[in-house]
Amino acid sequence: MAVTVKTFASASEAAGAISSDRSARYLGGGTLVMRALNEGDVSISTIVRASDQALSRIDASGPRITLGAGVTFARILGERDLAFLHAPARSIGGPAVRNMGTVGGNLFAPNPYGDFTVALLALDATVALQGGFGARDIAIEEFLQSRERQSGALVLSVSCTRPANAEAFRYRKVARIKPKGGSVITLAAHLPVSGGRIAGARIALGSMAATQIRAKAAERALEGRTLDTANINAAASTAIEGTSPADNALGSAWYRREIVGVHLRRLLSGQE
Amino acid sequence: MLELRKDIFADERDDNLKEIGKGTQRQDMLGHITGTSSYFNDHKLQGMLHLKVVRSTQAHAKLRRIDTTDAERSAGVRRIIRGTDVPVNLNTLLSLINFGKDDEPSLAVDKVRYKGEPILAIVADSEREAFEAIAKVRIDYEPLPTVFDVEDALKPGAPVVNETYPKNAFIYHDVYDHQRLRFGDADAALANADHVLEQRYQMSPIEHAPTETNGAIAAPDTNGRYVVYTSTQALFFSVDTCAKILDVPSNTFHFIGGTVGGGFGGKVDTLTEPLAILGAMLTGRPVRYVFGREEEMQYGPPRGAERIYIKDGVMRDGRIVARKIRAYFDSGAYTRLSSYAAVKCAAHLPGPYTIPNVYGDVYCVFTNRTPATAMRGFGVTAMDFAIECQMDKLANLVGMDPMEFRILNAYRDGDMKAHRREAKNTALIECVQVAAEKAKWPIRDEFRRASSRKDGGGSRAAIPPTPTDVRARPAAPAQQRTTYDRAPVTATREPPREPPPPTPPPPPPRPAAPSHGATRFSSVFGTRRR
Repeated sequence: MAVTVKTFASASEAAGAISSDRSARYLGGGTLVMRALNEGDVSISTIVRASDQALSRIDASGPRITLGAGVTFARILGERDLAFLHAPARSIGGPAVRNMGTVGGNLFAPNPYGDFTVALLALDATVALQGGFGARDIAIEEFLQSRERQSGALVLSVSCTRPANAEAFRYRKVARIKPKGGSVITLAAHLPVSGGRIAGARIALGSMAATQIRAKAAERALEGRTLDTANINAAASTAIEGTSPADNALGSAWYRREIVGVHLRRLLSGQE
Repeated sequence: MLELRKDIFADERDDNLKEIGKGTQRQDMLGHITGTSSYFNDHKLQGMLHLKVVRSTQAHAKLRRIDTTDAERSAGVRRIIRGTDVPVNLNTLLSLINFGKDDEPSLAVDKVRYKGEPILAIVADSEREAFEAIAKVRIDYEPLPTVFDVEDALKPGAPVVNETYPKNAFIYHDVYDHQRLRFGDADAALANADHVLEQRYQMSPIEHAPTETNGAIAAPDTNGRYVVYTSTQALFFSVDTCAKILDVPSNTFHFIGGTVGGGFGGKVDTLTEPLAILGAMLTGRPVRYVFGREEEMQYGPPRGAERIYIKDGVMRDGRIVARKIRAYFDSGAYTRLSSYAAVKCAAHLPGPYTIPNVYGDVYCVFTNRTPATAMRGFGVTAMDFAIECQMDKLANLVGMDPMEFRILNAYRDGDMKAHRREAKNTALIECVQVAAEKAKWPIRDEFRRASSRKDGGGSRAAIPPTPTDVRARPAAPAQQRTTYDRAPVTATREPPREPPPPTPPPPPPRPAAPSHGATRFSSVFGTRRR
């Protein structure tokens, strides 16, 4: 059976097409879906596209920013107002992948990919979904936990609050091939400071479990405290809690467990 | 800019050459940078079919049953090719030069020996239809014990990977299960050395990762011939390999290659051409067989992994007096080119140093891993990495500067190499001196004044007394013959020689029977016609 390509003018029609056909996949930039097709994934027989301009909209003027699911990493890198997202955007693939790869697709990228999603998880982003029966907003953490069941819905956009300053949001991708290798571990931390103390710490990890996860023990170790050496060490020593990394060609589960605390300590203490 | 040190290499290069030191346009560069170079996969032929292979999901298993009933009925399928359809379904690449036994089928017949080994080829109207048919093939495997470690594979009772070599080691000259180098008495020298350092080095396989994956398009031509567009980096080698596997004269094929989208040794194995041509023969249509990226990475042959043990004896003054090496080349499930890598490696020992006592055992081992092949300097690169790591450790052990330590031990013109050839144009000393100078690494005057052209030869040119290993003299081998072996069967051959004798071997006599040209001894081929 040949692969059918269906293009719709509106995102809701496209969402309807995916929700009604288990063999349908939404094609954003194609860096995941075309690869699967080229490698002979016969579970995909319908490709759904949408020409809806709303999907590629960027709203970065206010304190809360919204990125359409079809926004590419190259476009994020071209937006001065999105400077805090430049490091994660730049850490993805080479220029060709960044020109095509999208924010929405990254939410579904399996290990060792999905680095941008690590940043979004640390930023407590909200995912706007269009299902067969209507639209809804869902917290990114909840979205990731139920990612397997979300394939029948279309992601419309992702939104998050802009960090108060450059210090408050940190990102680090550990890769063997720089700058565009797959992730050994990806780390992002959002550490808002209120009255000299961290309030609402968020630390997210990539490649440390089946999906991107939060390092909640490390967050607790920092909550209400200052970012001094003792607290950083305390957070780093708990980084491994709740993780379940897997072996792959880039690193073993053992290695990831060994180094996650080291890299978290470096991230928090601002070391290169 | 390339600088040729004429003070060192006075006779090395004709001064009238007009290329060195100048920018020269590569002949294919304009096409590459303007995107107009034509690759094999740029040919879209009318009625072209697509071939994909069903690969083993097991590393080692008997094939109990292959059920293609549903696959044959799948839409767009033109032909399913099995091992029994391949005219000569057993080959080894270097059989073209009479080296090694045929050990690898194009399509597995009764068992698979590595994960990803091709079992069936499906020819369909589109790649998609071929993939859909692959999903409908049912294969009943009976898993067999596996072996993935080179040393485990050589232990008695290890699973037999490849029945052609029942002891899991390549057999040289039909007799020897490894390459052996003996020069002086390494054990005695180690016993008398001030320090002994033994280390283990383990390399990983390395994939060539070409931008263009392996592939070929074969199409029926007039007069019963086939035109083949291919990515091969060894075009005539591939022509002859296909001729052998498909049991037709090589002039049946018109191979068109020349533009290779990255080879580095990974495109000599001729993996896609025979099946593409066979598909064209069986369907009468053009057939395209191209590796996907995952196929290329996972099942395309890599540089083989090597495990190396080095035991060195060094004196307090920094002289290395003995080097004993054991190396295991992981060939994967089939030979491809690792047998030759082991020969190169043995000839390279002990590296570019003059060491009076050298002992080397180099094995080419079969395991249930993806077959390994050529890659830039294979056989030497990994060994050199191990040797140079070892040199740094030795220098540290005796408290010497690593650069000076290398200069002290470097071979010089006129020295005898362990494989009993005189070292010429050595220039390692000068290379180290230049490297030190460029890196602003201070070395002492006496080392700055050293020269590869002084103080070599003399006693360093002598071949030391070498104890011979005790072993029974083996029976004369029966040479495997191929269709390319044009000499009469009765041609007498030299019996195999024992491991290198203490004196340089005399050239073997010419065979009595008529043959093409002179005969010589080669460590790869044994005695053979020139």
